[in-house]
Amino acid sequence: MEIKYYWEDFVPGWQYVSPAHVMTEREMLGFAREYDTQVYHTDPEGAKATAFGGLIASGWQTCSIGMRLMCDGYLLETSCMGSPGLDELRWFKPVRPGDALRLRSTVVEQTPSAKNPTRGTVKFTWEVLNQANDVVCLMVGRQHYRRRAPAQ
Amino acid sequence: MTKRKYCFEDFAPGDVWDIPGPVLTQQEIVEFASQFDPQSFHVDEEAALRSPYGGLIASGWHTVSICMRLVCDRYLLKTASFGSPGVEHLRWLAPVRPGDRLLLRLTVIEAKISRSKPDRGSVLHRWEVFNQKDELVMTMEGWGIFARRQHAAGA
Repeated sequence: MEIKYYWEDFVPGWQYVSPAHVMTEREMLGFAREYDTQVYHTDPEGAKATAFGGLIASGWQTCSIGMRLMCDGYLLETSCMGSPGLDELRWFKPVRPGDALRLRSTVVEQTPSAKNPTRGTVKFTWEVLNQANDVVCLMVGRQHYRRRAPAQ
Repeated sequence: MTKRKYCFEDFAPGDVWDIPGPVLTQQEIVEFASQFDPQSFHVDEEAALRSPYGGLIASGWHTVSICMRLVCDRYLLKTASFGSPGVEHLRWLAPVRPGDRLLLRLTVIEAKISRSKPDRGSVLHRWEVFNQKDELVMTMEGWGIFARRQHAAGA
């Protein structure tokens, strides 16, 4: 895919909000049975007796869905070279079947690489929102991007 | 229902558990990434060769999800757990490639009884993921909320 966006484009305050992805029970069970087999993620009946009162998505699936929304929204058209990690990750609210999740990416900080004039780092907040506009998941992390033009 | 074997009291600061993990195949790396993280260095072998990684690498979300499963299998399904509020300092330190064998090392950093809900406590685990060459590929610190033993039936 053609690269449209480089490190220079991610200035503090830049924001993107994705279209919604509606979570189905089927995809929640599919993820959870592979990666997070706790009863409130894998068993709709058993989940009713837990503190969550019903089936909820694995938090790692929520993160992964956020990643996919980012890819589809803009990331595949950027010079992104990957992420060194997250400073913070919070799951504030359960995600349930039928919830419509959107990703809101906001640039917090833009830092040129100290070592490599062709690269830079961008610090983001990535919020996953549901249909009630509640933030269900918050991530604060960084990604490395190539620059459009090397630093002088 | 799985028997509750582990409670808050079973996680003491300094405890270390090593959990052997699977060997990752190229097929599962591409499958996970095709669904959740279709950046070219995760899904396209040719493009990955030309990337700074020099070959296909697993999505970081795949690595952490595999470790979640290891935790489920090792103790979490046998633990009176109330879930997790979140994670700090998640770092993807080195690429995970097809054929890599993972090992998860869990170390208890902190364990504290809840002030507002004395039937439970929070445990902070450091997760360190090593490959077969003993290189650290991922670290994070994650909180879990577990029932105290005398209250475990309610969790």
